[in-house]
Amino acid sequence: MTTQEIAPTDDFGIAEASRTNLWKDAVARLAANKLAVIGIIPIILLFFIAIFGPYLTPYDFLAQDFTARLAAPSSEHWLGTDELGRDVFSRILYGARTAVAVGLVSTAISLIVGLIMGSLAGYLGGRVDMLVVWLTDMTRSMPALLLAIVINLTLKVPLEAWMEQMYLATKNGFFRQTMWVDLVLVFGALALIQWPGYARLIRGQILSIRSRNYVLAARALGMPTGRILTRYVIPNAMGPLIVAVSAGLGGAMVLESAFSFLGVGVQLPIPSWGKMISDGLRMWQTHPYLLAGPAVMMAIITVSFAWLGDGLNDALNPRQWGG
Amino acid sequence: MSVLLDVQDLQTRFQVRKGHVYAVNGVSFQLDQGETLAVVGESGCGKSVTMLSLVRLLPPAASIESGQVLLRGEDLLQLNLRQLRDVRGGEIGMIFQDPMTSLNPFINIGTQMAEPLIYHRGMSKSEALARSAELLEMVGIPDGAARLREYPHQFSGGMRQRVMIAMSMSCEPAVLIADEPTTALDVTIQAQIVELVKELRDRSGVAVIWITHDLSVVAGIADRVIVMYAGYIVEEAPVDALFEDPRHPYTVGLMGALPSLAGETGTRLTTIGGSPPDLVDLPEFCPFHPRCPYAIDRCRKENPMLEPVIDAGDGGHRAACWVDIREVELEAGAAAGSV
Ligand SMILES: Nc1ncnc2c1ncn2[C@@H]1O[C@H](COP(=O)(O)OP(=O)(O)OP(=O)(O)O)[C@@H](O)[C@H]1O
Ligand code: SF4
Ligand SMILES: [Mg+2]
Repeated sequence: MTTQEIAPTDDFGIAEASRTNLWKDAVARLAANKLAVIGIIPIILLFFIAIFGPYLTPYDFLAQDFTARLAAPSSEHWLGTDELGRDVFSRILYGARTAVAVGLVSTAISLIVGLIMGSLAGYLGGRVDMLVVWLTDMTRSMPALLLAIVINLTLKVPLEAWMEQMYLATKNGFFRQTMWVDLVLVFGALALIQWPGYARLIRGQILSIRSRNYVLAARALGMPTGRILTRYVIPNAMGPLIVAVSAGLGGAMVLESAFSFLGVGVQLPIPSWGKMISDGLRMWQTHPYLLAGPAVMMAIITVSFAWLGDGLNDALNPRQWGG
Repeated sequence: MSVLLDVQDLQTRFQVRKGHVYAVNGVSFQLDQGETLAVVGESGCGKSVTMLSLVRLLPPAASIESGQVLLRGEDLLQLNLRQLRDVRGGEIGMIFQDPMTSLNPFINIGTQMAEPLIYHRGMSKSEALARSAELLEMVGIPDGAARLREYPHQFSGGMRQRVMIAMSMSCEPAVLIADEPTTALDVTIQAQIVELVKELRDRSGVAVIWITHDLSVVAGIADRVIVMYAGYIVEEAPVDALFEDPRHPYTVGLMGALPSLAGETGTRLTTIGGSPPDLVDLPEFCPFHPRCPYAIDRCRKENPMLEPVIDAGDGGHRAACWVDIREVELEAGAAAGSV
């Protein structure tokens, strides 16, 4: 028998010449998802404001207009002014910077920790795996905000004392900037709350991908472990990870606001939406716009990240890639 | 024919919570150059674990307790990982049951096919791609060069199995292990895949180990057959001898019907009743005895060894059974006749 005679009759039909790139496919699917596209717009805007906001604001975020304290929205102050006569609109734009910085940095930290812990657990298995699973369970069983408060209460004073000591010892001005203590505590708390999610996701991905047939087939072809990791395991784990990071960025921003709201956030002169919300809440009956501005921004961003995350989830779902 | 692969007393078990699962229990067999050996047996009897043990592709819970896997005299179980990787794909190619999930969905076919060629044969990327295109045409996928740019989801199940075959054969291995390669496919496509492997085998002279449930495929492709049960080889014979003169009751059962039994005249069992044993202990009895219509007392006390059958032919017919079932049948026939 020749090859021709046994040429298959099963279909070539499903092959469309244009569908050659999976990532392009995913982008196309994402673009077709209305909610995701609607969600992307505020997110792009947010990043734009975070970068260029200071050049766009009509006023400096600290500039006080004593003639117009607690002014209602007007053409001069679009969203009014606060108790100190600071322009709310400008402060919201600056607040975007805090939100994005906190989101990116804390997500990056927790992602790195999660990647390391998750890969160790997934690869080494055994005791390491049990330890990591136990650690993540412990961390996740504690309410996030409680954890942040406890961290703040227990570590802030000693850390500040240590900074003061260091200042006295070195006379280095850096140690007088207590802002760093705040930042370390906030980023630390956020990372602590968020790493278990990433670790468990990556562990699960590695366990599941490692036992997939194409990994066995690649090993049966003698491919080295490094190649299998970079070409088989990581790309196949990317989809769920991208989805998680998208949701995580939104989540981190909301958490930071919650921290500020509870008074364990970044105590900076730089505005933070959470801080603005908590300040605004004190006078929401008389001056509702103080609360409305940052709260609406927060809501839009949260919903946008959720929609984008959903869209990414659908677009990157391997089941729709024809397995 | 010279011996290519010589497996001696292979034992593989799994560590599980309650103890051990004895999946492969002292399996020994040989594979000659260019020969096709079929391995049959019910689900869970250790066919896959045996073959994965040969190149140590086992899951983490498994361990090979003893044995030798001599490929041209070299024991694969003693190789370090580097050397073993050269054997995998280079000397021993494998194809698996489920072609739908055997290809990485994120890499196009060309890149996937090229990697082993680059790795094992030191080809450049462009050489490897050119060779991959040829290989695709060889396994009956026309327009290979164009299809290299496509992704697995653009191929049907049958086409993916062809790609898998092309990949496993790309480095011209001496042995091709096919673990139920047609089970997941439509009947018509199954036949095509069998034909394809036969053709490639005849052209390249590769020795084939073909695991299957389908005895009709065995008749068409194999030179010799191994029948496995509960991690043991219970019968081994040239294909004709096995079909014409099966000696192990389990083999007889697999072939469709057990013959009439003494005391149960006229009753024909069309399937083997019962199910295979849990492999949690190494048995001190014949593992088939709870299901065996021929079982005698000895079967419950001693586990028979795989030994040449009485008046075996040239090809080496071996079975692991205390009873000569032909004699029993003769007596049963005589008894039935005399009544
Ligand atoms: N990961 C595992 N952990 C524990 N036991 C396992 C594992 N994998 C396989 N086994 C056991 O090993 C035995 C042999 O399995 P194997 O996959 O070799 O069977 P098989 O003959 O290939 O069956 P099939 O025809 O279904 O492919 C089974 O009884 C199974 O219970
Ligand atoms: S040894 Fe006994 S129980 Fe086992 S197959 Fe033979 S007759 Fe049946
Ligand atoms: Mg199997």
